[in-house]
Amino acid sequence: MRKKVGFAAAMTLLGLALLSTRYYMVDLPVWHFFGGGGGPDPVTLHLQGEFVESNLGAAEDPAGALTVRMIAQQFVFVPQCIVVPAGVPVRFRITSADAVHKLSFLGTNYGLEAVPGAVSEATFTFAKAGEFKIPCYEFCGAGHYAMRGQLEVVARDQFATLPPGERRSCEPR
Amino acid sequence: MSHASQAARVRTGVRLLGTLLLLLATTLLLSDSSALKENAEPPVRIPSNVAWTGETLATISKGDAFRGLLLARRCNHCHGEEGFSAVPGFPNLAGEDRLSFWKQMQDFRFGKRTSPVMQGIAEGFSARAAADLAAYFAMLPTASDAQDNRVFPHAMTDPSRASMAIRLIVFGDGQRGIPPCQSCHGPVSYVKGAPPLGAQNGEYLEQQLEHFSNGNRANDINVRMRSIARQLTAEEKTAVSEYYGAGLGPGVTSR
Repeated sequence: MRKKVGFAAAMTLLGLALLSTRYYMVDLPVWHFFGGGGGPDPVTLHLQGEFVESNLGAAEDPAGALTVRMIAQQFVFVPQCIVVPAGVPVRFRITSADAVHKLSFLGTNYGLEAVPGAVSEATFTFAKAGEFKIPCYEFCGAGHYAMRGQLEVVARDQFATLPPGERRSCEPR
Repeated sequence: MSHASQAARVRTGVRLLGTLLLLLATTLLLSDSSALKENAEPPVRIPSNVAWTGETLATISKGDAFRGLLLARRCNHCHGEEGFSAVPGFPNLAGEDRLSFWKQMQDFRFGKRTSPVMQGIAEGFSARAAADLAAYFAMLPTASDAQDNRVFPHAMTDPSRASMAIRLIVFGDGQRGIPPCQSCHGPVSYVKGAPPLGAQNGEYLEQQLEHFSNGNRANDINVRMRSIARQLTAEEKTAVSEYYGAGLGPGVTSR
């Protein structure tokens, strides 16, 4: 009898452990149920808050720290191309307008998940200059495999000489 | 002329001069402060007043197609009796997606999308009237029949561009981050606000792609269509537009 109870308890624990790895299916709803969230509403990102389109891209605060704000949506990242200086910590703030997306900076160890209704934040330091592709790494729908952004890491002194408009993003205008 | 009236005239003159000086000073001050503001923060740009909230969707779904039929008498002259325009530069409205139609009407109404003709017309339609029209146009069939005299499918000027169009519509271009057209415009999957393109005029589509890429049209939510259009070459824009305009686009055109 005791063995059976122990076995059942162990199985329950194992099941819970497996479930807890399904972050978006289990943890996130639970977190929301207990009052988590409070992030931007995915359908009104363009109307107010920090993710309005004129505020997207890289922005420097007076102290010189760099923050990159991005929206991931089906099936483009906005802005699609960003420039950051090499060897400087860069803060990324990302949200999603629809499904869960994941930025994966190819050629580096960095990745960041974009979740609707929440802002994901991380600070990355890109050691060497170069161009990195940012494919979406979380299946997000029919156009998922063609969803790809670009990150251009330039030398620090070269970044300082860029005009303000090109520092925000490197999209062709 | 009496001495008193002359004094009154001088006083009026001084008062006028004072007012003018005051006005000048305020203008200078105002222009100065606006210049300062511009340096501090980029102005907030709202691409469209429409957001796909539950209320918006409820408003659109309450549209009455019969009221729309009566209202559509204003649209028929340019967009055709059957929703197919005689002028290839004007969009066809037959089988148009309700949400897309309603959003464009609101954007015209609030000046978020510019058009010398449509802005004036859209100002005359309330949100409810636009929903009625949307319901009506969504109902119009896109399949051709023996009686209609539409000019819709226009042959491609260069049929050899078809393979380029098919590649973009079905696969997109992953290297440049261009998603396939059919992943948002159907029939593979749909995104709110993305209209079906299977019965749309090619010339109109090409104009709009051009406007999206050079920023003349900027009413797409979260820069979605602008990001895509500015990556397309001129030849690709022509190929895709003409392919859809030739009635060759994939899938159903009305839902």
